[in-house]
Amino acid sequence: MKSGSVYLDNCVTSPMAPEVLQAMLPYFSERFWFPGSFYSTAESTNEALSGFAHTIAEAIGAHADEIHFTAGGTIANNIAIKGIAGAAKKGHVICSVVDYPDLLTNAAWLEKQGFEVSYLSADSEARIDLAALKQAIRPDTFLFMTTIVNHVVGTIQPMKEISEILKAADHKIYLHADAGQAFGKMPLAVDDYGIDTMSISAHKIHGPQGIGALYLRKGVRVAQTIHGIKRADNLQPGGLSIALIAGFAKAVELNFADLLGSIRQLRELSDYLYERLLEKIDHIELNGPQGEGRAPHNINVSIDYIEGESIAMMLDMHGITVATGSACASQGLKASYVLMAIGKNHVQSHGSMKFTLSRYNTKAQIDFTVEKLAEITAELRKRSPLYNAIKNQEK
Amino acid sequence: MQYSQKVLDHFMNPHNVGKMENPDASATEGSPSCGDQVTVYLKINEDNHIIEDISFLSYGCASNIATASIITDLAKGKSLEDAKKITYEDAMEALDGLPPVKVHCSVLAADTLQTAISNYEIAHGLKEVPNFGKETILAELKKIIYPQVGTDIVTLKMVKYVGFNDGEVMIDMNMMSFDSWRENVAEEIHEHLEKYPEVKKVEINFP
Repeated sequence: MKSGSVYLDNCVTSPMAPEVLQAMLPYFSERFWFPGSFYSTAESTNEALSGFAHTIAEAIGAHADEIHFTAGGTIANNIAIKGIAGAAKKGHVICSVVDYPDLLTNAAWLEKQGFEVSYLSADSEARIDLAALKQAIRPDTFLFMTTIVNHVVGTIQPMKEISEILKAADHKIYLHADAGQAFGKMPLAVDDYGIDTMSISAHKIHGPQGIGALYLRKGVRVAQTIHGIKRADNLQPGGLSIALIAGFAKAVELNFADLLGSIRQLRELSDYLYERLLEKIDHIELNGPQGEGRAPHNINVSIDYIEGESIAMMLDMHGITVATGSACASQGLKASYVLMAIGKNHVQSHGSMKFTLSRYNTKAQIDFTVEKLAEITAELRKRSPLYNAIKNQEK
Repeated sequence: MQYSQKVLDHFMNPHNVGKMENPDASATEGSPSCGDQVTVYLKINEDNHIIEDISFLSYGCASNIATASIITDLAKGKSLEDAKKITYEDAMEALDGLPPVKVHCSVLAADTLQTAISNYEIAHGLKEVPNFGKETILAELKKIIYPQVGTDIVTLKMVKYVGFNDGEVMIDMNMMSFDSWRENVAEEIHEHLEKYPEVKKVEINFP
């Protein structure tokens, strides 16, 4: 293996597929027109645009006119959450303590604007508390938001049960879903889960960075949050790159051509990784659920008695890229709030390693990674006072 | 994280690492919950008080391991009197600097060395067990680094008032509510003071 060859942080961003780059190139050169332009030469662009929207809509069981392209998943989350709240004007919102930062920072902003927010707790596998959801619903609750696949431990939220609870309420409660980690990793038809608004992103499924989309169910009213010149879309004014949209659609096409097959492939790879980890490293435990309740591309483990930044740096020197939940590696020197919220202690969070896989990873890469990780673990444990203390007790 | 080549060298190939059998003195500082802990072991010549051997264990990030490694290099072969003069600034300088958020690692390493030396001196009747008081509290607060800039909170005038009465420490801090490091600093204050048996309660007030 040569340096820089094993990338296992695909939940942050993923390498662009070569086919995606090819699909984008013409739109950077001879077909450079803005979507939404009036003149006749741009008409083919507008046509192409609706074709791309159709491709993406199909992947989530929606209509093309319910797809609004945005400059990424975060913008989509903002347009939906602030837009729904703006239309409601006042009232109560529910989310959970393990949600993606996009949702939590928006929730904090809503509180500052005078809305009330309830934060549901989660169980030890990061599944939100459904009984608490039922109890949290109030006559003025107008929005429930959730992260379909948890961004740290890969937990798939019980969307069916959630949507039934929301439907059983005696007034309409909108369901906004962040599908950043779920899109392309599980079958996701918006009608199955009663989803009203949903954010998706291209670069997490081997598309280009800087483009995403908001699914907005027909009839859902959102207040305008971004103001500016209307090009292709009302909700995201201003120019959007048609090339990025073309790349997004190509990435969706590739990912969804055989969705179940690609899920199976990822699951096989992550099962393999987990088995190898258990085989080669002791004092290690899985964070989050095992099996079907977990997204197929995520393995998160805590390696006891050693610290994640050290592990990640040593792996990096072998060209292996992984993430850690250690406070030492975070900008704010804080342990992973998700791991802390699901009852892990500081040491488990500091020693947590997150591997997120893609279709470009191989078993050979995983063998190499686990082999190096086992060596690194042994070396760092030799240096660790915590591990030496445990060894002493065992004697 | 932007580390100097020296930090990377000491992280990848630390000097004097490992548990020492039958040390003459040792000390452990930090706590796993804060993500770093260091143990320093000393072998000291009883006649001339030279540190003949020294080793460390470290649970923590790269800079934690590197600063513990360099502090053992700096202390090895020195007399206790000279080793007592080693500060965290010396460790940082020897490593060609540390990112501001990592300065606290060098403080921990230097601190652990000093505690190990102090433990030796107390055990060998070279000094008395120091009385706990306001000076001890201030000395501890001086070891707490404000991560944004890498300078201690006393020098930065973030400590407005320190009181100690009947086991209760009261500290008034000068940190604004929008300061995102408040929680980190408070946690560190608790960690530094609650290790003393004399301290029963620590109360920290922010404006």
